Amino acid sequence: MQNNSPAKKILIIEDEVFISELYTRALNRAGYQTDCIIDGVKALKKAQENNYDIILLDLMIPNLTGIEILRKLKDPNITPNFTSKIIVATNLEERDKVRKDIEQQADGYIVKAELTPSQLVDFIRTIQ
Amino acid sequence: MNDLKKLSRQFWIDNFITVSIIDIFIFSLFAITLSKKILPSHDLYLLVGIIILSSNMLISKFQIQSILMPFKTIWQIIVHLDSSTDLPMPKINQLKYGKDIVKNLNDQIAQLAGMTRAQNKDTLLQQANLKNNFIAKNLPLPFLASDKNENIIYANEAFAEYIGLADDDIIGKNLYGVLDMSFLTENTLDNWLKHARDNKVVASQNWERVKLSVNDNHPTHQFDLSAYYNRDNPEGIETILVLFDHSKQYSQDDQSIGFVALAVHELRTPLTLLRGYIEVLEEELKPSLNPQLLNFLDKMDATAQQLTAFINNILNVARVDDDQLELKLQKENWAEILESAINDIKLRAQVRGITIKYHIDPDLPLVGVDRISIYEVISNIIDNAIKYSGKSNVINIRSYLNQQNLVETSIEDHGLGINTNILPNLFSKYYRDHHNRAQIGGTGLGLYLSKAIVSAHGGNIWITSKINVGTTLYFTLIPYDNLSAEIKSNDLNQITKTAHGWIKNHSLYRR
Repeated sequence: MQNNSPAKKILIIEDEVFISELYTRALNRAGYQTDCIIDGVKALKKAQENNYDIILLDLMIPNLTGIEILRKLKDPNITPNFTSKIIVATNLEERDKVRKDIEQQADGYIVKAELTPSQLVDFIRTIQ
Repeated sequence: MNDLKKLSRQFWIDNFITVSIIDIFIFSLFAITLSKKILPSHDLYLLVGIIILSSNMLISKFQIQSILMPFKTIWQIIVHLDSSTDLPMPKINQLKYGKDIVKNLNDQIAQLAGMTRAQNKDTLLQQANLKNNFIAKNLPLPFLASDKNENIIYANEAFAEYIGLADDDIIGKNLYGVLDMSFLTENTLDNWLKHARDNKVVASQNWERVKLSVNDNHPTHQFDLSAYYNRDNPEGIETILVLFDHSKQYSQDDQSIGFVALAVHELRTPLTLLRGYIEVLEEELKPSLNPQLLNFLDKMDATAQQLTAFINNILNVARVDDDQLELKLQKENWAEILESAINDIKLRAQVRGITIKYHIDPDLPLVGVDRISIYEVISNIIDNAIKYSGKSNVINIRSYLNQQNLVETSIEDHGLGINTNILPNLFSKYYRDHHNRAQIGGTGLGLYLSKAIVSAHGGNIWITSKINVGTTLYFTLIPYDNLSAEIKSNDLNQITKTAHGWIKNHSLYRR
């Protein structure tokens, strides 16, 4: 499914370890390489290295909110030459304000509670 | 008084003197003829006597009428000035007698009538001046009046207290600035007033469950609203609004569903995790499990799915009721959506020994749907069919273009059936068929939600049923190209609608 191209790299920023465990397993089985980070500040630093094809970003994480990470990554003054796709994953019933941020800046949006790991894999596959 | 003397003199000359002269003349003639015995018989004298008497009586009648004429005219004037009748003003100049006196009296009566009227008007004005009106001021209901420019010109104490503003922040201010209201439907105060101005002289209207956000210090008020419109109201009042507060009752309703929504929301993550781990188990264990254990695993998965569907229902009903359910109608291939939904759901049927058979006509037009919401509809309807299938083991699903060129989908079970007299109730919130409620679980939210979602898509939903034969549920969707141009103009590829709900009052504030 990844053909001959190098495996896509995914950064999972998630503080619920059961979820990252399930996502990691399903994505690895589907041929993706994954890294997991819980802490917001560390996650931002790691993401800014621009080593990932896709970033799965939870909104409720310690030290720095997902929305702030999203803004900082998508602001070329703060993070120049950033090319990773950001998929926001959350359980929050988004308030209008946050939803606007997500719609304007994120490359995709999933509600974690609505996707099982295999459905997540199906979703990730649709991202070019 | 001179007029009166003049009148009596004129009358005296005109009537009594002339009539008396005529009478004396006739009687003299009569006396002469009698003394000289000119007439041949006594009978003839008698006849002439009677004629003379009769003509005298006739003359008296005219005299009396002449005397009464000025009085009659005055009476007519009074009746005429009483505006409650439409008797015309009498023609004074045509009066033979008493022209001057009637004219004078007419002037005086008119003056008096004018004074009385002015006095009445003053009293009316006083009543209309609401600031001085005891009732308006002390009415224990919040109450306000606005003018043609939608500025508030009066608000009672109860109103000021209700919205927590001082008079200065209310009087003279724009109605919609002071009252930032949200209504359940598009029939907002603003829209109603516009319609009333164009079409009505007077109009009134009531609304239920109007929401009001005053400021941060005041929690949201909820009330029923009554409005009265009058184009020609005195004192420049065009609209009167009365607020009937139900904040406590309505917010309790909201809170109960709000609490459930919160609780249910917290169930979603663990449940998704559970489904994730079941998925892992299936993947890992499938080759090594015996058929019965595999079946148990399927049942675990189906049950977790069912719980997810239930939870989604409750959350979605809460969203529908609070207008948080936003639909993004996109151009979609209906066959693909329906098929993938059936594939997802079929495990739930399968573990109960039911097969879902479906036929989707090829070449259906693309439809304008919100994938996630319409999935809920399909899921709810199929779950219902599974629940009420009884001993039958097939559910038939068909999708086709109906006579109105709408994409119609039918889901048919061959189970218990429903009494026709309760069919109309099935789409009500919490409604459940009491014959079955003991045997079959459910919340009575599924069809309520389905209807809200299908309606928001512009479609229809209905049921036909026969006891012990089965039930068929139908719903229609509008082909994307037929969706109204108005909805599409918002966004070419994406149409946002809400299930039903709070619409900001004024077009300026409308989101």
